[in-house]
Amino acid sequence: MSLLEVQNLRVTFDTETGPVQAVRGVSFSLGRERLGIVGESGSGKTMTGRSVLRLIRPPGRIAADRMVFDGQDLMRASERDMRALRGKRIGMVMQDPKYSLNPVMTVGEQLTEGLRRRDRIRGAEARAKAVAALEAVQIRDPDRVMAAYPHELSGGMGQRVMIAMMLIPEPDLLIADEPTSALDVTVQAEVLSILDALVRDRGMGLIFISHDLRLVGRFCDRVLVMFKGRVVEELEARRLTEARHPYTRGLLNCLPRIGGPREPLPGLDRSGDWAKEGAA
Amino acid sequence: MGLIEIENLSVTFRAKGREVRAVEGVSLTVGERESYGLVGESGSGKSTILRAICGMAPVTGGQIRIGGEALRMPRGPGFSRRVQMVFQDPYASLHPRHTIDRTLSEPLAIHRIGGSDAKVVKALTDVGLPASFRFRYPHQLSGGQRQRVAIARALMLEPSILLLDEPTSALDASVQAEVLNLLTRLREERGLTFLMVSHDLAVIDHMCDRVLVMQHGRAVEELARDDLAAARMTTAYARSLFEASADRMLDPAKAP
Repeated sequence: MSLLEVQNLRVTFDTETGPVQAVRGVSFSLGRERLGIVGESGSGKTMTGRSVLRLIRPPGRIAADRMVFDGQDLMRASERDMRALRGKRIGMVMQDPKYSLNPVMTVGEQLTEGLRRRDRIRGAEARAKAVAALEAVQIRDPDRVMAAYPHELSGGMGQRVMIAMMLIPEPDLLIADEPTSALDVTVQAEVLSILDALVRDRGMGLIFISHDLRLVGRFCDRVLVMFKGRVVEELEARRLTEARHPYTRGLLNCLPRIGGPREPLPGLDRSGDWAKEGAA
Repeated sequence: MGLIEIENLSVTFRAKGREVRAVEGVSLTVGERESYGLVGESGSGKSTILRAICGMAPVTGGQIRIGGEALRMPRGPGFSRRVQMVFQDPYASLHPRHTIDRTLSEPLAIHRIGGSDAKVVKALTDVGLPASFRFRYPHQLSGGQRQRVAIARALMLEPSILLLDEPTSALDASVQAEVLNLLTRLREERGLTFLMVSHDLAVIDHMCDRVLVMQHGRAVEELARDDLAAARMTTAYARSLFEASADRMLDPAKAP
């Protein structure tokens, strides 16, 4: 049975100039695997991820024919039920540690806040769990990091702290929104191997949202390519180079390559029929 | 003789009684009309070198010369006319409450250069933006359009050297391609010299003739473009960086 099933998800924002559709009928199902969602800014990939947790504020509206997580209907769940799911069963890692961590709380306080409030675990026990989580994401001196404020950490450390925070409640599904785009290639590789181990060892499901097509192709099992709120192509990650859709091909071609020719990079041609408003 | 000569540069930050040596004994020379790249992880000191050239970092040793002349503190208006910088994040580098027109004409006003009206329009067309964008605010532009404005601003005083600090890493892939193409075209048209920082080896390879690999504030290895593509590096660190970028290699099956 699949962990998450989404059918015909739509996200609409009511604006002064009429409704704007950010997500226009996205369907997918997810088992205990790594699903990549790729697309450029404004493609609706982040909105798709947030919809699963119903984290869209008015004037945004979510509608779906079906959105079921582990047998529970997310469209009918009360706000109370959703709060029980968020963090505990479905975790989310945001893009930028600079904006997603609380700047006036130490990392230790932030990591243990959930344990203290939600699980009523206090003091040394909560601290031990937080240190273990930091160790699980390969932070070498967890004691220093526990006492540090977010601005005292590098981007890579901050990102690992956020992943550690999401892992403490051991969720069944992790939604990672650009978890590595602020990181260097070598740190990126470390963070990916941490996520990979979690999917393998804990049987966690992972939705990996990224704008980096090559990264997703290397790391995920399956890839959804989004454009203007629609899934334009779904394929197995290892077949990414065989992509047929002009948008996916365009995205692959416009990247510079080591040893490539010095001529101008091909731009992305958005003049095809597929890019028109209302195209399927 | 190079246009930019950096000799044994050291930059040390002091805070809370602690010293951080961001750059230690780095030397490099960039020839006129050359495009030179700096790569390395965050914290390797690559952006600090650019800031040191602009006088925005505490230089504690070594010398920086532009066109054979040692730079003085403060840098002065002559420096701004020769050297300009483009920053990574176009959301942070443009004044949010100034119109594009004001952003672009400010350098002209400071340097008492007339004819700003025509120059602003020309600057916008040169970077491929419609002249009607003049009276917009940054929040009314997309990321790629903002970075074009930042490039236009840097070129207002017609400098010969552009310092580029990760100019495309905040942009989407297709927009990155457009901005890189724009930079290449401007360099050809105006005979500019680039000193460019990036963590993306593929971007550096596409844009630069030579590249310096940095780690922990020190220079690790200098590579010519051909040596980079052919993986002829001699240090273990440069190789590991190269291998972590393996997915950015040209697919041999598709090589021309």
